[in-house]
Amino acid sequence: MRKRNDFIRMSLLFLAVMAILSLVCPGTEKTVAIKGGTVLTMAGKTIPNGIVLIKGEKIQAVGDDVRIPADAVVVDAAGKYVMPGIIDAMTYFGVRPFDLNDSSNPVTPQNRIIQAYYPFGQFMKGQGGIEPDKEILSGGVTTVYIAPGDRQVIGGQGAVVKTCGPNFDRLILREPASIDMAIGDPPKAALGESAKSPVTRMSIAALIRKSLIDAQEYDRSQKAYDAKPEEEKKKSPRPPRDLGNEALAKLLNREIPARIESDLPDDLRTAIRIAEEFNFNLVIDSGLTAYLLKDELAKKKIPAVLGPTSHPFVSGGEVSSTPELLRVMDERNAAILAKAGVKIAIASFGFGFGGFGDAVQGKWLLLEAGLATGFDLPDEEALKAVTINPAQILGVADRVGSLEPGKDADVIILDGYPLNVKTWVEKVFVNGELVFTKE
Amino acid sequence: MKTSLITRGQAFFFLLLAVGIWGFPGNSPFVLKGATVYPATGPKIENAVILIENGKIAAVGPGLKIPSGVQVFDVSGKVIIPGLIDIHSHLGFFDADINEFPQPIGPENRALDALYLDSPDWAEAVKGGVVTLVTGPGSGERIGGQSITIKTFGADLSKRIIKEAGEVKMAINARNLSHIQAIRSTLIKAREYMETWDRYDAGDKKEPPPKRDLGLEALVKVLKGEERVRCHAHFANDMLSFLKLKDEFGFGLTFEHSTEAFKIADEIAKRGVGCVSLPLVMRIPLNEDLMRGNAILGKAGVKIAFHTDHPVTQEKWLRLCALLSMRYGLPEEAALKAMTINPAELAMISHRVGSIEKGKDADLVVLDGPWQELASRVDWVYVDGVLAYDRAKDQPLP
Repeated sequence: MRKRNDFIRMSLLFLAVMAILSLVCPGTEKTVAIKGGTVLTMAGKTIPNGIVLIKGEKIQAVGDDVRIPADAVVVDAAGKYVMPGIIDAMTYFGVRPFDLNDSSNPVTPQNRIIQAYYPFGQFMKGQGGIEPDKEILSGGVTTVYIAPGDRQVIGGQGAVVKTCGPNFDRLILREPASIDMAIGDPPKAALGESAKSPVTRMSIAALIRKSLIDAQEYDRSQKAYDAKPEEEKKKSPRPPRDLGNEALAKLLNREIPARIESDLPDDLRTAIRIAEEFNFNLVIDSGLTAYLLKDELAKKKIPAVLGPTSHPFVSGGEVSSTPELLRVMDERNAAILAKAGVKIAIASFGFGFGGFGDAVQGKWLLLEAGLATGFDLPDEEALKAVTINPAQILGVADRVGSLEPGKDADVIILDGYPLNVKTWVEKVFVNGELVFTKE
Repeated sequence: MKTSLITRGQAFFFLLLAVGIWGFPGNSPFVLKGATVYPATGPKIENAVILIENGKIAAVGPGLKIPSGVQVFDVSGKVIIPGLIDIHSHLGFFDADINEFPQPIGPENRALDALYLDSPDWAEAVKGGVVTLVTGPGSGERIGGQSITIKTFGADLSKRIIKEAGEVKMAINARNLSHIQAIRSTLIKAREYMETWDRYDAGDKKEPPPKRDLGLEALVKVLKGEERVRCHAHFANDMLSFLKLKDEFGFGLTFEHSTEAFKIADEIAKRGVGCVSLPLVMRIPLNEDLMRGNAILGKAGVKIAFHTDHPVTQEKWLRLCALLSMRYGLPEEAALKAMTINPAELAMISHRVGSIEKGKDADLVVLDGPWQELASRVDWVYVDGVLAYDRAKDQPLP
């Protein structure tokens, strides 16, 4: 009897040790060496004939004299380009269009886009649709920022996710990553249809202020409760929680920034004004005319996530039906901002699903960056605008955005110079796993 | 005493002004020298000379002797391609004027009557090197009306217009059974109308003439082969149905959008039907199979032309369509043709535009680098020999 107990005990111990081991080191750590390519590290240097050494899920070393261990799988990248996975800093990828906007209410900071994220292609298969994950990986895009749509004033909480991973939880890099808002034409267009307030720019701004004041009050009362001695806490209940105000409090406490989509110069000024009044961090989204405010943005260190060069219509319908915009916008927006010292990202603002969508698809983001070089943006800035800059703007630069030791092994191999129209992504590694190979 | 409307001094001033305008480089002969020229109808010419006279190309070649007294612009290092042509556009329309939804059959409707000539989009198109457009009704009706063939630049509207009306826009959508039959019934009516008039013209004309019907009149031109049908279609089976209609009535045809045309490339090639085709730049998320469609059509011998479908994508990105098609396997030469000579031939205006050849309109796009690259920019655009865009005059980078 006792022996049997011992056996069980030993078995359980063995299982526990194995379980812990498997958590700490999932399998043996695979080593991959990508060798011989031109390595664009996006951390300041380009290494001709370089080596990127991947151990497990992380980058172990990058350089031209890295020792390759005997057990490493060697990937020959001679004649090719190697760079970090592309980051699309604004997209609706993996979210079905009807899940983007909560039309019942212009202010829903409690909504979290992560709850609508589903990047896996399966449910579209066999229905004539494309496979979003495969499509976006074919463009080398490994990390995306996803957000609620722009038809509400405060749409909710955005997230930074990977496009591919072993399971859902592992996809998430940062959540919530921001409070997503829109001012100007997009919410006006949508809200105007409902004949409910707000329908003017004035009342959109007023509504944001009111929501933030509510959140300030809420935050104050919660903090006041937290500060009470334990005795008192036992006597009086905590003020009721409110998920919307809780999210906005994170913004007010500068834990996360606001992403405010706006295009016309005066809408941009409104966004900056409100951000200063309430002292939160601001990221401009779309910003077709942001170049007009370049010095102010640079001085205040407000970054801008710009829309695609080829189709700058992302807010409020077609540019050609918004003559005010057409008069002031300039294709050199990205170049002018970068030159002035504003941190810029170029993003797709695109959907990941098939059919005739409304925006540029993420898989063509590198081409959009290439197109921007045709409008005075230096090559290096164009590459940064889809790698390290968005990583920094999204607050995930410790994990992704460049090829540096310790970062996630999100690496792409291309058959030519990344900004050339005929260049294709040949291989994509995410977390050290080869997840895409061009047929 | 009545005062004259203008004084003699003013008259003299206007005379001088008129002479001044007449003497503008657009009308006095000039030469562009030293560029690499892609005529679109032949191999590229290095270090070329293009002589422009009276808005036309008077001569083009590698070793041309430059006539004395002609102004010479040295454009060494630049690349020159023909003014680009988009034969499926809605540029110059207010959104609300594109589709006459309550009227599914409206061949009498004419684009010119809705044209918004002050739209800033025209200048944007020029900036992208797009010089000639077929712009017209949308695809919300079975027969939407007649398109206009027009240049994107020019002081005199009557000279800008290449063809005021004629090409009839039709649309069949989403495998709808009634669409083809509605068009067929109308064509049968048009044929009867044509026969009625033929009988009248052949007779002694003592009876009053038949009552005119502007819609059927437009379709008669189509039936006689003087004008073509432009048919919006995405699905292969819709296109097959329409090809049957063409077999029945024998009209000239191009498919517009042509999304799945590559699936029936041989059927299309066999009938000499052109395809105005994808890609619509990066905005439209089409899958990789569809993106390769142009290369397949080209290989099968179908004449293809790119379109922007402005405002679906902006007119100025037409060249990008070519670059994307090249990415998906279309040879370079075919890609250039698909935005120059091919659309000119499909729109039956190749006697005027579409290539850099003697006698054609001097519509030229001068780029600062290879036209095949994203980073290259349009420096100058000439329309009918007049400088229509000059990048140096853009605001400098602040």
